[in-house]
Amino acid sequence: MKKDEVFTYLVGGKAGEGVKKAGTVAMNMFSRMGRAAFEMDDYPSLIRGGHNFTVVSTAADVITSHYMKADLLVLHDERSYAEHQSQVKPEGIVVYNSDEVGEDVRGIGIPMTTEARKYPPNTMLRMGVGSVTVLAAAIGVSLDQLEDIIRMEYPREVEKNIDYARAVYELIPSEVMGKLHLERGEHTSSVLTGNQAAALGAYSAGLDIYFAYPMTPSTSILHFLAGHTKDLQVVAIHPENEIAVANMAVGAAFAGAKTMVGSSGGGLALMEETYSLAGMTEAPVVFVLSSRSGPSTGVPTYTEQGDLHFALNQGHGEFPRIVAAPGSVEETYYVAAELLMLVWKFQTPGTLVLDKHLSESSHTVTIDPERAAWADFSSHGSGEYKRYTITDDGISPLLFPPSSEVIKWNSYEHDELGITTDKAERIAAMHDKRKKKLETLTAYMKTITTVNVYNPGYPVIMTYGSTTMSVLEALRAGDIDATVVQPVYLRPFPVWEFAGYDTALVIEQSSTGQFATLLKEKARVDSEVITKYDGRPFDPQELASRIKEVV
Amino acid sequence: MELGTYAENTWCPGCGNFGIMNAVTRAVKILSERGVGADRLMMSAGIGCHGKIFDYLRISGFYSIHGRSIATVEGMKVANPDLKVMTFVGDGDAYGEGLAHVLFAAKRNADITVVVHDNKVYGLTTGQFTPTSKKGFKGGSTPEGSVEDPLNPLAVILETGATFVARSYSGKIAHLADMVVKAVEHEGFSLVEVLQPCVTYNDTYRLYNEQVKILEETPDTLEKAISTARIQNPLYIGVFYQVEKPVYHKELYGGGNPVRDSLRREERINRMRNLLPI
Ligand SMILES: Cc1ncc(C[n+]2csc(CCOP(=O)(O)OP(=O)(O)O)c2C)c(N)n1
Ligand code: SF4
Ligand SMILES: [Mg+2]
Repeated sequence: MKKDEVFTYLVGGKAGEGVKKAGTVAMNMFSRMGRAAFEMDDYPSLIRGGHNFTVVSTAADVITSHYMKADLLVLHDERSYAEHQSQVKPEGIVVYNSDEVGEDVRGIGIPMTTEARKYPPNTMLRMGVGSVTVLAAAIGVSLDQLEDIIRMEYPREVEKNIDYARAVYELIPSEVMGKLHLERGEHTSSVLTGNQAAALGAYSAGLDIYFAYPMTPSTSILHFLAGHTKDLQVVAIHPENEIAVANMAVGAAFAGAKTMVGSSGGGLALMEETYSLAGMTEAPVVFVLSSRSGPSTGVPTYTEQGDLHFALNQGHGEFPRIVAAPGSVEETYYVAAELLMLVWKFQTPGTLVLDKHLSESSHTVTIDPERAAWADFSSHGSGEYKRYTITDDGISPLLFPPSSEVIKWNSYEHDELGITTDKAERIAAMHDKRKKKLETLTAYMKTITTVNVYNPGYPVIMTYGSTTMSVLEALRAGDIDATVVQPVYLRPFPVWEFAGYDTALVIEQSSTGQFATLLKEKARVDSEVITKYDGRPFDPQELASRIKEVV
Repeated sequence: MELGTYAENTWCPGCGNFGIMNAVTRAVKILSERGVGADRLMMSAGIGCHGKIFDYLRISGFYSIHGRSIATVEGMKVANPDLKVMTFVGDGDAYGEGLAHVLFAAKRNADITVVVHDNKVYGLTTGQFTPTSKKGFKGGSTPEGSVEDPLNPLAVILETGATFVARSYSGKIAHLADMVVKAVEHEGFSLVEVLQPCVTYNDTYRLYNEQVKILEETPDTLEKAISTARIQNPLYIGVFYQVEKPVYHKELYGGGNPVRDSLRREERINRMRNLLPI
């Protein structure tokens, strides 16, 4: 294949057949080849059966999305075959499991199940090893190299996996061997999902304890941190429900711990009362909101940006909120760190907005922890302490127990010491203090990157969050010249960065165009909107044609 | 040690909360003499008449939201296990709005102390029935009388795995102070249920003065403790159950302390380098 060409590998099969794992292995292979790669997993909310597929697209240099048209498809069963065989590119190859897919079909049949049965007991999981073997053969990886890969990636029953891979390798027709040869790239990268990036970003900035109750697509933050409590020295706690999650996090912040919580829309809705509590008590906590297709239980394993207004308006009452929506896996790392820094600097809650596509897709990224923010805070020196001292910038210094001073955080309106009040002038004074803090925060936001602008020029496309990745890839796929304006922070909204824009093409994954509404309200930008709200992320080629229709 | 504050006290004259506050003041002084200094003794409170104790005591802590103050102190404790934490909750607050937190804190043996101001009524919202109100209780939301039977919180909490359960009476300050001291000194989940008359909406002074009786001996099995908790007359006060069990934060991360041992930036960068190929 030509060096700048995108190569896409798609594996489809039942849940439990190692489909997702095959995608992960492919990502690692491409990453080790120095290439850029992106993986999107599509799976229903079930544990066994159903239909799963993973798509991994790779380019020698840059790639920010998967593509739905594939060069190499490995399809484990009838249903995958029916759903995906038409996605093959003209020069592409379809390999199917001939034990499950009927005769006389297009493509290359390999009896993957018959072979797998020779290596019991984990015959189902063996299927994924077979798919990786097909990929290796097609891109020109030798049997010896493949053996090393399998040793590294499939250590359980490793010898059986290797024997199975050899058997499958032998069955691959010679015309497939090396047909889709891939060049090496020049990048050194790590493969991370958005959720891993969020966890590591917060960790780099000082995270001590992560609290969460499982809810797709946020769950893998909890799993990741719980799996790294020893090597990272971090605590991960799964309490009885999201209300406990949020309140424990606030209590832990009172004791001086850097805390983060995470869920999807339903869980954040349960945490809302505590979001407001964090605003009132001035408790620094990061809330991760990873959206799925909604409303309500919605479609748990599919993506949507339908929670934007919900995210912007978490919690009742008036207090400063910080809402960030990173636009890539790499940015998620740095913004998660920065958000933890901001909530501590300004002692107020912040929301990190992700969605299924960003949370669970993997990308080859370059992470430099030296560049991550560090969560520092204004701390009390000596002498008499008042938790809510009124200061010029609205920020009251923090002091943590144990201390001989009395430290009182209060959900009721309070005086400077933290004692409950209903006195008119004190109520107003505390509102003024929190408003002052918002002004200080807004002034500070002007000194950091709040908006990304790619390819300055014309026409102007505005997008945010995970859709940024789709838009940037669509521009490459369709060879379209356009500026992309992507606000990373949505509250306080960086109006100062929007001075020069009157109109834009807005692209977002919601049915009602919430982002376009926000841009109109905050930045007076009139827009045409391209939306998608079927739970699937944009395909770059499909999006490119839709952009071309408009501009 | 002066524990009062300048906050104006707005409890009704004669309210059982005064007795609870006096007993807690005594307990804090005793605890301080026994090595649990005020610098590391924290409190939180729920929302209700009971919660006002937060404003009236010069003790560090967190005035939480309705039903959630147990989760608040669990967070404090797990963040810095050197702290001793007590939370003051209402019967509406902890047995209604926030029941899950009581049960789960007991189940995981969180090392916290819960003091329940059980006046069997929502005081602050003007007298509605609560989970512990007797059937037939007339309040604003049940003008014809509540049609629900009351919950027996001590029996439920014992069943859930609590490692220290006691009952006392706001009218017996020395006894209550003693129960609070024992509860705080107990390593693990401790709950002190306080029979608290609400003179305005549920005046139970006469009833309690007649029926309250000191429990001479702590039952030595869970079954006996639960049977004792089921007895309605007399209303025993004293320690119903106490047992040693590993505490939550130690089971979770051993002898560490997340706040004290929090890694510095350089060390985190090192660990990131070990994790990722950077
Ligand atoms: C989420 C929420 N719901 C309702 C209220 C209103 N509220 C305040 S106090 C209270 C009841 C208090 O009853 P209890 O906990 O028994 O405390 P008491 O006043 O009797 O001490 C209620 C319902 C609230 N503050 N928050
Ligand atoms: S209403 Fe009842 S509980 Fe509340 S202060 Fe008055 S007497 Fe006490
Ligand atoms: Mg009550």
